[in-house]
Amino acid sequence: MRVTQSMLSNNMLNNLSSGYERLAKLQEQVTSQTKFSKPSDDPAAAMMGMTYRTNLEKVAQYSSNISEATSWTESTDSALNQSISALQRIRELTVQASNGTYEANQRQSMAAEIGELKQHIVDIGDTQLGGQYIFNGFQTNTRPSDSITDEATGKDLTYASGQIKMEVFDGVKITVNTSGAVFEKALNENGSIQKLYTALNNPNTAESEINGFLKEIDATINEFIDTQARVGAKQNRINLMADRISEQEVIAKKVLSNNEDVDMEKVLINFTTQESVHNAALSVGAKIIKPSLLDFL
Amino acid sequence: MISTFMGLETSKRGLQTSQSALYTTGHNVANANTPGYTRQRLNLNPTTAFPSPGLNSPSVPGQLGTGVEAGALQRIRDSFLDTQYRSQNSQVGYYASQSESLTKMEEIMNDPTESGLLSTMNSFWTSLEDLTKNTNSTSARSVVASSGEMVADTLNYYHTSLTNVQKDLHYQIGVKAQEVNTIISNIHDINKSISKIEPNGFIPNDLYDTRDLLVDELSNLVNVRVNSVIPIEYGIADRAVAEGLYNVDLILEDGTSVNLVSADNTGVQGMSEVQVGWDITTGVVSGVTVGGAPLSNYKFSGELAGLIESAGYMEGTAIKGVYPDMLQKLNNLTEAFVNEFNRIHRQGYALDDKGIALDNADPTKLQPSKPIDFFEIELGKDASAGIKVNTAILTNASLIAAAGQPGGSAGDNENAHKLSVIKLKDFKLYGVDKSTDIPTTLPVSLKGSFDGYYAGLIGNLGVDSASAQRNEKNAQALTDSVDQNRQSVSSVSLDEEMTDMIKYQQSYNASARMITVINELLDKLINNM
Repeated sequence: MRVTQSMLSNNMLNNLSSGYERLAKLQEQVTSQTKFSKPSDDPAAAMMGMTYRTNLEKVAQYSSNISEATSWTESTDSALNQSISALQRIRELTVQASNGTYEANQRQSMAAEIGELKQHIVDIGDTQLGGQYIFNGFQTNTRPSDSITDEATGKDLTYASGQIKMEVFDGVKITVNTSGAVFEKALNENGSIQKLYTALNNPNTAESEINGFLKEIDATINEFIDTQARVGAKQNRINLMADRISEQEVIAKKVLSNNEDVDMEKVLINFTTQESVHNAALSVGAKIIKPSLLDFL
Repeated sequence: MISTFMGLETSKRGLQTSQSALYTTGHNVANANTPGYTRQRLNLNPTTAFPSPGLNSPSVPGQLGTGVEAGALQRIRDSFLDTQYRSQNSQVGYYASQSESLTKMEEIMNDPTESGLLSTMNSFWTSLEDLTKNTNSTSARSVVASSGEMVADTLNYYHTSLTNVQKDLHYQIGVKAQEVNTIISNIHDINKSISKIEPNGFIPNDLYDTRDLLVDELSNLVNVRVNSVIPIEYGIADRAVAEGLYNVDLILEDGTSVNLVSADNTGVQGMSEVQVGWDITTGVVSGVTVGGAPLSNYKFSGELAGLIESAGYMEGTAIKGVYPDMLQKLNNLTEAFVNEFNRIHRQGYALDDKGIALDNADPTKLQPSKPIDFFEIELGKDASAGIKVNTAILTNASLIAAAGQPGGSAGDNENAHKLSVIKLKDFKLYGVDKSTDIPTTLPVSLKGSFDGYYAGLIGNLGVDSASAQRNEKNAQALTDSVDQNRQSVSSVSLDEEMTDMIKYQQSYNASARMITVINELLDKLINNM
């Protein structure tokens, strides 16, 4: 084949520019740390990457939902726990009061303490989490105790209904709030505590009658414990979900990384190789282009 | 008898011919880097020997040579390689314009990155999930509204940018069509000049070169076929070397051809201009005519066809093409999504919405008192261009219907859940509440979920763009290799020219020396006898 100077220089230009193109590609990979910057660089990986990224976002969202759900159950659990302590103190006081040895005024002071404890439980029923009343069903922005029409007896104290659900996994929704019904039953004007309180304030109440309240108080305590147990069970379920999700998060991240993150060693080695090829091409090109017969005539 | 001065004449011809050859070498060297230049060669022929046979021819033994004469000045070119180059070159033009417009589209769609539609959608879904956790929070509601706005903005941006590129492409189509016509008219003009020179026995090599370069350029714009014809009336023209006139045809993919520059054995005829017609209502290309006659399709390859296929064209009543396709898909996607989102949104209750009775007969059956749309599509605009968040919601985020029950309680997040699951909802289930329901109208040609469909859209775009780039590279490599072969035949080699230079210089010197010798001979004869 007849080879001329212009062919050589054209060829050299073409080869150099394709060398530059490869260098640019590698440089882009090094700086962006991803294998591709446009879908056309690797259509399949780009498409998979989008699915993986959506997956990862979803998993991150679930994990954030789970931590929110955990705060709800933990707040609920601690509120119930405090209520149970207060109720147990009320029970102790009831046992004490049922002992016939107390004077009317001593009973009254016990009644006063029970009154305070009742108020304490009402306050617990008003527990807020991030500005939301957790025992008031959907009405998270109204204080449950605002429904009381008579401060003294706790008349009309009601807790709204409604199950607040959070999605913790595809299609898995967990009700994070606990109904305030146990509080309502224990604290309103017909509840065991209010009745006990009225009875203790009445000097004519017989000891046996007060003793009779023990059963009701026990029932109330049991209801609270029962509710707490259910919250605990829910918490366990949430924890289980949390474990599963955190595993998924690791996998999703790994899959995403495998799909689009560059293998630094590989890219750097390729880069070095390409660089030396490019240098060689430049120096050979410079040597080939220069001489012509003219130099030797 | 041989004339006394015959040797002088022979040597003089040698001098003149060597001089011509040297000048040709000089011309070649000077044009070594001229684009489209073909090296020229002076054909040397020995002159007629003496004596020629005849009745009164002198009776001398043998025939004496009378020296050399310059024959034709010929281009060294292989027209077969030209044909190969041009058919490849139209592929280069076609795929280069396709890959350029697809790459632009990829840059606009900007996925998979942190700023593409997918990640904007992801933050919108995240904001909805956050709303389910905090239905009462004004900030969570505002975030939903502003994330919705971001989604709308992204879609608006896509639409605007895509239509802008489309407009650019339309402009380019006009420019390229103009370029085709300019080249055609130049070829036509050169044909005319050549038709005046060739019959006089001259070989206009440099006009040939210019004409070939023009055809090369034309072949990048549209696929052409060139036939050279030599008119009958040429008479004395050197038919072996004269290249004649170019008859240029535009070739469609199905093999049919339309004439652009016409020349036949009676001489130069006419030329037909390429005109691109535009559809008034849609703004896309409605057809291409050559010399007034419409082409049956746009498959004439080259940059012009690549641009038309990218920017869009009418086929019957349908609009086809890369950009219109993508815009249509985005519009379908946006419309389906907006309809579904609004449908679910209208079922929910805004914050503190007590609801109103559905009918008078049963006052317990309630419905949202003022159901509003979350997204709106401006009338008379494409869905992706006109999508925006309802201004009422932007000014008052509590109107977002997060609650599923009448009353719109602060903690009720039922409808927010329903809204957030649209993310994974199959298009088949758009417009229905239960999977057993049969949707009345299916969104056009949409499959899978929003995210999945969009990822597929980007994936396909990537595949198309990658294949256009690969095809461009392949066509370019083939063109380069054909061009290499062409250059191997036609380009100027300085070494070769230098060798020629020395060759002709020496032969000039030798002829001059011959004259000196003859001079000495004559000197001896005339002065020393």
